[in-house]
Amino acid sequence: MSLRTVFESQPERRYIMFGGKGGLGKTTLSATSAFWLASQGKRVLLFSVDPQASLSDIFQQDIFGKGPVPIMPNLWAQEVDADRRIKDYQDEIRKKILDMYGFDRVPEEIDNYIAAASAEPAMEESAIFDAVVDIIVQGDYDYYIYDLVPLGHALYYLSMAKVYDEWINKITKLREDMRQYDQVAATMRREETVEEDKILGELLYIKERINASSRILTDRRRTAFFFVLVPEEMIILDTQKAAELFSRFDVPLSGYVVNRVLPPDLGAGRIPEYLKNRITMQQKYMKNIQATFGGQILAYVPEMERDITGLGMIERLARRLFEEEGPAR
Amino acid sequence: MGDEKKPKKGGLLGVFKDIIYGMSSHEMTRQAVRSRASMEHLFILITMGDLLGIPILPPYYSLRLLPYVTPQISSWKRRMLRERDVTDLLG
Repeated sequence: MSLRTVFESQPERRYIMFGGKGGLGKTTLSATSAFWLASQGKRVLLFSVDPQASLSDIFQQDIFGKGPVPIMPNLWAQEVDADRRIKDYQDEIRKKILDMYGFDRVPEEIDNYIAAASAEPAMEESAIFDAVVDIIVQGDYDYYIYDLVPLGHALYYLSMAKVYDEWINKITKLREDMRQYDQVAATMRREETVEEDKILGELLYIKERINASSRILTDRRRTAFFFVLVPEEMIILDTQKAAELFSRFDVPLSGYVVNRVLPPDLGAGRIPEYLKNRITMQQKYMKNIQATFGGQILAYVPEMERDITGLGMIERLARRLFEEEGPAR
Repeated sequence: MGDEKKPKKGGLLGVFKDIIYGMSSHEMTRQAVRSRASMEHLFILITMGDLLGIPILPPYYSLRLLPYVTPQISSWKRRMLRERDVTDLLG
């Protein structure tokens, strides 16, 4: 198996995610895959919700908070500005309160609550995942490549989604009970209709949004999740742990990509002791990786002689990963 | 509760109906409305618990509900935070 065969043999997997610790090359792999798919004629949106997003860096173009920006034919990139989104959302809530009750200004107590709510850490995660739902619901791309935030966020959200879902179910039930009392009172007063419960409507909407965002991460048919790792002891251990956690939350793992592999012929000839040690060490970890992940390894990405930024470099890496032979080394 | 908008029912029969209503089901109606109000407060507690320092629903989503409960917030807070004593049990 190679990355290419995964894409070609499972075309219905349209949500592509690369996960892994920070700095291992998630963005590089996301951009390279996006580039290749786009050059195959697929419409691709590559997006990031990371506040420290690196898509602007890799494409050498400022795209932060600007919506989907065309990068090349068939390829768009987008960096969501989560802070901006939260601010807009707060303003929307304030405006709604003013409109609903004809206030001149939002009551202080309520306004304080709105301000305080955005300071909670859960706010950002929820806002981010809500933004992802928006992106995926609105667009008409063939592929959505999600340059994932570091693992912790995703896991945190997945575990919260389950709790939230149960909560919402309970609250919705309470709301429905309340409605029955409304109806009893109305019937006894011989009133015909009970006013529509807008809160119940909102609760159902919230439930749908929370489910939609966790569904994207756990949809076996349409989602492919790849782990990026490098041949280093701690990274190998962490990746194993993370993979286990992810599978516990039903995230469909599609394989592993090993990044920053030193060219094997580098060790030949006369080289400094320091470099020789590094190479020997990496070879040991490579064996380790092969023993641990074996057939699930889809690609070995060579350590390039320079940073991978700009379309030229991305193209070179894409050719190397998708056109030349697969994972065999 | 929009009662005043109810069209006047015709003459004596209407009066009679109202009297029957007053004697029979008015108390039940009040009971239903009161239960409904308690549940409303419970609902606000669950969704807006942050206001009292009890975070329950993720704030991103509870903000969506905030506009609908804005008018009830102060009476809810008063009820939640007021001191209670033995006579509450009788109520």
